[in-house]
Amino acid sequence: MNVGAADMTLLAMALPFVAAGLAPYLVRLMGHRAAWVLALAPLSIFIHFIPYAGLVANGRHVTAGFDWVPSLDTRFEWFVDGLSLTFAFLVTGIGTLIVLYSGGYMKGHPQQGRFLSFILLFMGSMLGLVLSDDFLMLFVFWELTSVTSFLLIGFDHEREASRRAALQALVVTGAGGLGLLAGLLLIWNVTGVHSLSGLLQSNEVLRQSPYFLVALILVLCGAFTKSAQFPLHFWLPNAMEAPTPVSAYLHSATMVKAGVFLLMRLNPVFADTPAWHTILPIFGGMTLVFGALLSVRQSDLKQMLAYTTMSSLGLMVMMTGFGGEHAVAGAVLYLVAHALFKGALFMVAGIVDHEAGTREVTKLGGLLRAMPVTFAAALAAAVSMGGLPPAVGFLAKEEIYSSLWHLDPWSLTFLACAVIGNALMMAVGFVVALKPFLGKRPHALGDVHEAPFIMWVGPATLGALGIVAAIAAPFTHEIVSSPMVSAVLGRASEIDITLVPHIGPPLALSGLTIVVGIVTYLAIAPFRRAVGGVLRAIGWGPDRGFDQFVRGLVRFSHAVTDRLQPGSLEVYMTVTFVAIAAALLVPMVVFGELPSMPTWPTDVTFYELTVMAIGIIGLVAVLIAHDRLTAIVSLGVQGFAVALLFMLFGAPDLSFTQFMIEALSVVILALVMTRLRLAPSDHRPTGEKLSDAAIAIACGAGFMLYLMRVTEGSFDATLSDFFARYSKTIAHGHNIVNVIIVDFRGTDTLGEISVVMVTGLAILALIRIRATRTDVELGDNDPREQHDPREEGSHGKRTYAGVEAE
Amino acid sequence: MEALMAVVIGIFFAVSVYLMLSKHIIRILLGVTILGNAVNLLIFTAGRIVHAVPPIIGEGNDVPNRITANPLPQALILTAIVISFSFFAFLLVLAFRAYQELGTDDTDEMRIAEPENEPVPPLGY
Amino acid sequence: MIMHAPPLADWLVIAPIVLCIVVGAGLLCVRKTVAVHAAIAIAGLVLLVVLDAALLWHVANDGPVTMTMGRWLPPFGISFTVDLLGAVLALVSGIAALAAGLFGLVDVDDSGKRYGFFPFLFLLMAGVSGSFLTGDIFNLYVWFEVLLIASFGLLVLGSEQGQIDGATKYAFLNLVATTLFLIATAYLYAIFGTLNVADIAEKARAMDDTAPLATLGTLYLLAFGMKAAAFPVNFWLPASYHTPRIVASALFAGMLTKVGVYALVRTLVMLFPSERAELAPVIAVVAVLTMAVGAMGALAQSDIRRLLGYVVISGIGIMLVGVAVAGEGGIAGTVFYMAHSIVVMTALYVAAGMAARAVGAPLSITDLAGLYRSHPMLSALSLMLFLSVAGLPPFSGLWPKIMLVRSAIDAGSSWLGAAILVNGLLTTIAVGRVWVLAYWQPAPTPGMRREKPALAIEPGFWTEYLPLIILTGLSVVFGLFPEAMVSASQQAAVGILDPASYIHSVFPAGAVP
Repeated sequence: MNVGAADMTLLAMALPFVAAGLAPYLVRLMGHRAAWVLALAPLSIFIHFIPYAGLVANGRHVTAGFDWVPSLDTRFEWFVDGLSLTFAFLVTGIGTLIVLYSGGYMKGHPQQGRFLSFILLFMGSMLGLVLSDDFLMLFVFWELTSVTSFLLIGFDHEREASRRAALQALVVTGAGGLGLLAGLLLIWNVTGVHSLSGLLQSNEVLRQSPYFLVALILVLCGAFTKSAQFPLHFWLPNAMEAPTPVSAYLHSATMVKAGVFLLMRLNPVFADTPAWHTILPIFGGMTLVFGALLSVRQSDLKQMLAYTTMSSLGLMVMMTGFGGEHAVAGAVLYLVAHALFKGALFMVAGIVDHEAGTREVTKLGGLLRAMPVTFAAALAAAVSMGGLPPAVGFLAKEEIYSSLWHLDPWSLTFLACAVIGNALMMAVGFVVALKPFLGKRPHALGDVHEAPFIMWVGPATLGALGIVAAIAAPFTHEIVSSPMVSAVLGRASEIDITLVPHIGPPLALSGLTIVVGIVTYLAIAPFRRAVGGVLRAIGWGPDRGFDQFVRGLVRFSHAVTDRLQPGSLEVYMTVTFVAIAAALLVPMVVFGELPSMPTWPTDVTFYELTVMAIGIIGLVAVLIAHDRLTAIVSLGVQGFAVALLFMLFGAPDLSFTQFMIEALSVVILALVMTRLRLAPSDHRPTGEKLSDAAIAIACGAGFMLYLMRVTEGSFDATLSDFFARYSKTIAHGHNIVNVIIVDFRGTDTLGEISVVMVTGLAILALIRIRATRTDVELGDNDPREQHDPREEGSHGKRTYAGVEAE
Repeated sequence: MEALMAVVIGIFFAVSVYLMLSKHIIRILLGVTILGNAVNLLIFTAGRIVHAVPPIIGEGNDVPNRITANPLPQALILTAIVISFSFFAFLLVLAFRAYQELGTDDTDEMRIAEPENEPVPPLGY
Repeated sequence: MIMHAPPLADWLVIAPIVLCIVVGAGLLCVRKTVAVHAAIAIAGLVLLVVLDAALLWHVANDGPVTMTMGRWLPPFGISFTVDLLGAVLALVSGIAALAAGLFGLVDVDDSGKRYGFFPFLFLLMAGVSGSFLTGDIFNLYVWFEVLLIASFGLLVLGSEQGQIDGATKYAFLNLVATTLFLIATAYLYAIFGTLNVADIAEKARAMDDTAPLATLGTLYLLAFGMKAAAFPVNFWLPASYHTPRIVASALFAGMLTKVGVYALVRTLVMLFPSERAELAPVIAVVAVLTMAVGAMGALAQSDIRRLLGYVVISGIGIMLVGVAVAGEGGIAGTVFYMAHSIVVMTALYVAAGMAARAVGAPLSITDLAGLYRSHPMLSALSLMLFLSVAGLPPFSGLWPKIMLVRSAIDAGSSWLGAAILVNGLLTTIAVGRVWVLAYWQPAPTPGMRREKPALAIEPGFWTEYLPLIILTGLSVVFGLFPEAMVSASQQAAVGILDPASYIHSVFPAGAVP
């Protein structure tokens, strides 16, 4: 590819985002007709990718891109092969029709612009996802589809059900996305490869790694949540709360297939491993059967379709994991067929809802005459869904049956799953396509018209494509499905696909499917009741489990937080000091940093011992003081003892400052204490006294022991020597301490002055600003007796002059 | 000598911690004052203690003519003293205002910012 | 002994600090003339951002820059040494401060301005910038005190009951934390006899195993862990962050805890690498518990400000993962996450403030219902911030998390990576609930919905939305074009793990005299 084409691809990837930005303005300008303009964006991307089809059909692939985050080895690199190209066509092709459909469906909605914008944002994300080569790029787009899906499901945000569904989808797919990220990072770590194309070429390293299974499971978390595999399927039916264009586009045709896409993309890496061939079919098969059974139970058109989508996704996962060329071909054909027929049927359901005002199948009927085009589209889609000729669904089903037809219990089990699933889905497909249109029209429906062109063009095109593609099977296969099969297999596929049925077991199984399907269709009402009864008997499902999980999580968090943050300063302080004691004592013991046993100093003098003793007596007196005078006086005693200690050990400046500060503190404290009228004595219960004392002693011991330890070593006096040598000669000061403060370490003093300045201001703010609420009885403590708070007097300042004078 | 001082400092710390574990703000404040002294003594001791003259260069000399006390810790303590006194002053006023506004000096009764029995947040959607 | 006059560009190193102090003092002088505050403050903050940007540019091009005050040859004078780590964080904080300053114009009433909102803001920034830029550990303590006392001032501005209550707990607990920092520094001085960071870095590496550095490292871990609000010493944050004016909460949430993490990286990782390795299991456990406490706390709150407080804590846990695993990727992830957290947490509080102003009610989730309909612009910006803080693409939270998870896997501690991802999921649920309940959920009685803000001040686009747009835009830019931040944080990490260039910038001659 030349540079121009690569640039064009980048442009194509950016275009939906640009269109998303323009959408609200366009809608404001031209109303719902803006959809015609906006649909040009996906259409032109679709056209851009057409030439690639020829390249890809020849077994080639195209990669190009640029460095995105080179420091993390991350490139913005796209990878176009049969798989991603088919997805790109689906995303942009169906996207074009969906944009148009949205134009009609949301016509007149006050937030139509926003809606189209979200749809286009999703389109860009999904296109990026399928084209991504780099792991992180894949993850970014993967999560973007989750986020845009969140916004779209919750679009009708004033209804609680929408909000719940949106959050549920975000949590489930978001969690899966994180699993995917973990898996990708693990693979990156194990293999050193950070792109899908790179991984496809060097999968041996991963397979032999002990982390293989972990990586696989993590990646499957992502794929299974996104593709709604049982038991993580529950968000998908709820996502039907979104407006119908969203259901048609995100939750059937494209986004939910992202998981299948990922599995298909990684198939060459994981295929032929037991885990892959066990986990995928089992989960896929379960999803297929449960989805089909649950769909029968529904009577809402969208809900029925939603569960069959789940079922179809299960089928695709099952077939991808089952292995073998025919199985993959079946999965691929089914994927394409499903995108076409399910997109069409959802849009039909939306049209019926839009025109008739309900999508409750029991309240619908006889719309054929009013809506012939819609009916035709629905019928074509249902034929494909039912796997009847001449539709793509038939081709897919033939391949699926022929690949599963082996006479061993394992294959037969999944064959049974496939037959049951297909039969039920066929029945549901025809219920959706026929029941609203045939039979007698209920009176409650009133006057119903055919949808406007802008709305039926989508389902009609998709329905017709499902037939045309099957009639032109060899061409379709060569251009679309064969390259995709080859990409999924990791080698060239040699299967031919034609509409001519395989005479043999597959055809017989198709016949069986049709018979079961027709029986189910005819007996749909009792069947619905029966399944409903069973479900009610079970009573619990993962959907309700989600609510229980969220509520439980919130309740549990609340209880834990209540315990951890009890609102008591005493508790906070206690934990803090326990931590401090532990931080001192534990490492000293563990790392052998305890001091050696000190010896009694030889040079200690009697004065020094006396001063120390006075200090300690002062401390003890503070502890046991029962009235404030004693407490204050004792506080002063210990402070003056400290000052004396400084004096004795050659620090007269310090001593003087200490005297001053201590005096000031005591005076202020005395003032405040007299005004607060508080008893300074302790009221702790004995048990608390003991535990507090233990903590205090542990802290004290810790500080003491570590101080002994650090002062044991020799002291590096370089700095002090320097100061002594140069204070006079260079800095011209006799008092070395002063020189240090104002010169050598002058910046500390700058900070210190800032602290003092701010303290003054903070105290001022604290005293002067009064909240409007003044219902507390202030009594004689009220400073407003002395001065009006609004008047900037000098009284307050003078009281705390000590602060500012420092 | 440092070891002896370490014992004294340890006692200072223990007493201040015990006071700070109280419920009563005023006692916590007493603890804060003592904590400041303990830290200052700690810094002082960290620079080693000697019986020495103050770090002042006499007239006529360019360098001290005898071993002097380590001047750097003294400078650091001077900075720290002023800062801790500023904090003390602020805390004292804060305690005063807390008493005025909240009507208590018992920290367990100060439950405006973190009220008791807060309801569980809404569990719906 | 006196060096040659430093080149003019080197003065940039202290310019942000000097600017903040000068403007702060200037505003103090005119504190009663409220009318001039806006112009002076915003001009000052813009200049701060410009200076920080110039400093970053200088450092990015020329490596770490040292400016020694009074031109005393280090380690005797106080050196200000700026490496990429400090410069990046200084710039990001400067931007956050500018945004907060703009929001403060409307969020703070005249009485708050008269009693020093802007001086407090500038002194806070002096403390924050000083902490990021200084190369002297005692000086770092002084800047910590400056920012702490400034935060006291901001916290009590308004003197409401809750503020006094919150401030009491905040003040005592933080006093203990900074005092512990000072104590640790005294011990450090006793061991090394020096306070210059580069000097210590060199000596610590040369020191034999007999030096009792493990306990010292633990003390710093606890002191800075407390400043950073790591479990189990995180009490002060949830006790107080929801009480002040929201602009003050925004400043706190953006910067205070991050200064703690910064100091932890500077001391534990750069100065005492082998002690960090010994403590790594402890840090790892603390990191995971902090994440858990933060995420659960966020889930447990109705009040958005308290919820955001816990989100801050949860982010601290994530940053600690980088400190626990160290290595280039881990530290780089922590650095990036710090920058991300500064921007996004400030922005989230600003958004919460705007929401509160819009509704005129206390910030309970249910009181805010209906914002999506009434304030689409605010909602869009808030949603981006929610996604960003949850670590979802395409916003800034994603990349540092990826870096941290990868480095955790590399270090063989995949469980730490798993914890980050699970934390991301819980945070997604917490903020998703806020979005669903406060934004999407319709107001209970539509007629009551006030289209006009309840406060008398009209919401001006420039003051209300500009700060939010600046910060959210930064998160988007970091998310879409992360290369600059990634490579800057990787280089910063290299400089931290191997401080040779840092030391060389302080001691160009090589040897310590």
